[in-house]
Amino acid sequence: MPLDYRRFNGPDDSVSYKRFTDNYLKSYDELYEELIDKNSRRKDGRKLDEARSMCMFFARTDLISQAKGSAYIELKKTKVVCSVFDPREIPHQNEFSQLGQLYCEVKFAPFSCVRQRRPHAPDAEERALSVALRQALEPAVCRHLFPNYQVDVFVYILEHDGACLAAAINAAGLALANASVPMYDIITACSLAIIGEKVFVDPTEAEEHLAIMSPDTEGTNHGIITMSMMSELKQVSDFMQIGSMDVQCVTKVMEILEKECETIVPNIQKVLVLNVVQCFNQRKQLEAEAKEREAALNAKMEEWKKILNAG
Amino acid sequence: MAEIYKLIHPLKYFTDYISREVRPDGRKFDEQRNIKLNVNSLKTAEASAVVKCGNTTVVCGIQLELATPKAEEPDLGYLVTNLELPALCSPKYRPGPPSDHAQVTNYLVSDIITNSKCINLKDLCIVPDKLAWVLYCDIVCLDNDGSLVDACIIALMASLKTLCLPSVTYDNDTEDIKVNADIRTPLKVHGLPVATSFAVYKLPDRNILLTDPSAYEEEMCGGIGANFIVCSNEGLLCGTQKFGGSNLLSDSQEESLKISRDRTNVVKKVIETSIKNDNEFVS
Amino acid sequence: MAGLLLSPTEKVFILHGVQDDYRSDGRSNIDYRPMELETDVVSHASGSARLRLANTDILVGVKTEIDVPKPDKPDCGKLEFFVDCSANATPEFEGRGGEQLANSISNMMQKAYHSSQAFNLKQLCIFEGKQCWKLYIDILILECGGNLCDAVSLAVKAALFNTRIPFVKAALMDGGNIDLQLSDDPYDSKLLDVGSAPLLVTLCKIGDKCVVDPSAEEENCSVISLIVGLTGDRKYYYPKDADKQQSVESKCTTIGMNGPGSVAPKTLKDAINQGIVAAKSLDEALGQALLKERQQNIGIKKHSYGFLK
Repeated sequence: MPLDYRRFNGPDDSVSYKRFTDNYLKSYDELYEELIDKNSRRKDGRKLDEARSMCMFFARTDLISQAKGSAYIELKKTKVVCSVFDPREIPHQNEFSQLGQLYCEVKFAPFSCVRQRRPHAPDAEERALSVALRQALEPAVCRHLFPNYQVDVFVYILEHDGACLAAAINAAGLALANASVPMYDIITACSLAIIGEKVFVDPTEAEEHLAIMSPDTEGTNHGIITMSMMSELKQVSDFMQIGSMDVQCVTKVMEILEKECETIVPNIQKVLVLNVVQCFNQRKQLEAEAKEREAALNAKMEEWKKILNAG
Repeated sequence: MAEIYKLIHPLKYFTDYISREVRPDGRKFDEQRNIKLNVNSLKTAEASAVVKCGNTTVVCGIQLELATPKAEEPDLGYLVTNLELPALCSPKYRPGPPSDHAQVTNYLVSDIITNSKCINLKDLCIVPDKLAWVLYCDIVCLDNDGSLVDACIIALMASLKTLCLPSVTYDNDTEDIKVNADIRTPLKVHGLPVATSFAVYKLPDRNILLTDPSAYEEEMCGGIGANFIVCSNEGLLCGTQKFGGSNLLSDSQEESLKISRDRTNVVKKVIETSIKNDNEFVS
Repeated sequence: MAGLLLSPTEKVFILHGVQDDYRSDGRSNIDYRPMELETDVVSHASGSARLRLANTDILVGVKTEIDVPKPDKPDCGKLEFFVDCSANATPEFEGRGGEQLANSISNMMQKAYHSSQAFNLKQLCIFEGKQCWKLYIDILILECGGNLCDAVSLAVKAALFNTRIPFVKAALMDGGNIDLQLSDDPYDSKLLDVGSAPLLVTLCKIGDKCVVDPSAEEENCSVISLIVGLTGDRKYYYPKDADKQQSVESKCTTIGMNGPGSVAPKTLKDAINQGIVAAKSLDEALGQALLKERQQNIGIKKHSYGFLK
């Protein structure tokens, strides 16, 4: 790999100290036992089919003052920031494009992952996530309203504790709405991990890690599925699966995902409504102030008129 | 109405405010924005801090790695600080490799930390010529609303102060490394470097010094970034930088030193309180 | 494909045809166009294959190299896909034009081969934790005539089937070093077990139905396509020990979507089921073709067609 002269580089041979700790390498079964306790509760106390969307969910808009629209979403430990900027002309393009374009970029913070330090330059996973994000957002945005222009959507993952693509899509949908980009529907996404018979809705990083690891026993299902939906229109805008599972399993979990995507919608709506109310109040206040100033000016004018008339 | 005025006559709009001894956001010339600090909020990093100075938001995370020291400096560890200015923090930045401005700011932050000697690199060495700690301090700006360097230094120092190094045993014969992550010792941090940014605005008759400028003020004063940065560590000056903009009179230089001294105390209090709060929260 | 303009009536014609499972070129919705496949075309590579599907032309070479396994997977080998879109393939690939497409294809392949049920990386292990084989799979797109993913996955599977890995004896020496001994006989090599390697099937949504292997006209009618990766069945490739194993159901190893549109959940489910049927017949045909070619190879020196045909 060529040396990056634009940044400070550490020594080439540095490795994370975690490799030398006692419990670095764990067997599949050990890892599995860590995920679920006897009452089939997960490590953070959730049930298998319980997503973080209910009580461990936090979302807000207008986080980034410099952006047109921005959003922040927290699923317990997973933290994602997204900002959307004004449309600009599509760079390096001569032809006229009838539909506006979305430029999406997903970036992990260097310190966002437990297992490795993320490189500064975009790696394969980030590129794949960027493509998936664009795929998920494109059908929801009224692209014919800004021909020949592109809207930039940047997502930054501060901490990765599973379901980061789903969180990124949710945040980007919220940020687009916050930037008042016209959209057909609210876009939501959810992911789940499958390990054998068990389905982990909204998985954590440890659960995802085990789900993509191949089990020793032949023929068991494992993998991760992320689906994004426009709930009102009942349309799937992106579907990503990795791992190995039979078709019955895929169709079965699709229903769970559909339901989960719908339960997130009120959360997003709440944030957006709050946003509108705030905007409205702000405008009201500004108007009141303007009126006050105008009244003061008018009073002064009257005074002058009087003086003029008198003089 | 005011928005339209700002668009049509940007310079006049700004001068109107300044000549009435007030800044567009209502602050006085030497007034700073509020600092909000939160330490150890990211669990994936060994130590972390989130700082908000007004709207400027900066996150710092430290990760630990092990490596062999350089052959020419066998008893020194590594401190690698990088400032990332992703495209999402401001419309001025584009995705891709870091811009010139980002590189300059990156060097500046790293220089301040090295010059202030707040970290003794010898403390990071475990076995000379064999094993040393590498501290990867990654600073990410989420929202660039001016005075970036100030916020970066606060975030970096706050996270360094909370960093604890795991204990390492190194077997000289077999070259085996064992790390026990449960036993940790805090890193020694000497002093507390604090940076204070200023923007210099030229009125016809005098020059105005604006403390802790916002991105808009920086732009009006003709620079991408602050014009003048003063850094001090425990009352000792450890670097001043002057970039572009208008000239600086010597009496305003003294004024800036005074302001930066005051700011050091404020920052110190903020960091101490938030670390204390965090410790109470844990216990 | 550039400059292909269809009138609304023509689009409706195609759509109605797809609805009745009878396409304008006489195929049904799950039929592929005729393909040509040849293996062992590059003498320097450990395994290679060339596939031509209508106008799409793909050359795949497999290189082997010895590498150190990843610390968290000490008993597994490595697999790396690299796609190169030749500028000759289509005018759009000039300069860096093909880069994004190349990335997405290699990404798709990487994901499809990720699970051990698709391709067992343990067969590439030489000495656990110390040495393993790394396969570089170079995919060269010589001409682009649509339906790239399917063609690439077929060619890759054929090339892997054709790949020979030399036998290596590994012994642990003092100080943790590994001593490798390679046999002098170049024919002293083993074949890989690729029976379950996945095939990608692209399903193009036209109306409410999906078609595989769309022609350029059909692609024009569709806003979204679904790519499904499905594992193959070993019995088509290793018929000798077919009685020992029961037929396994094919599994999804990857699903992705491509294009600016969206689909209804029900259409998505139907499409996946349709993909399985298509993948099964494709897998069977590929297995037969590969076995036939291998048998011919054993008898007489094969007459290589290369690119002349």
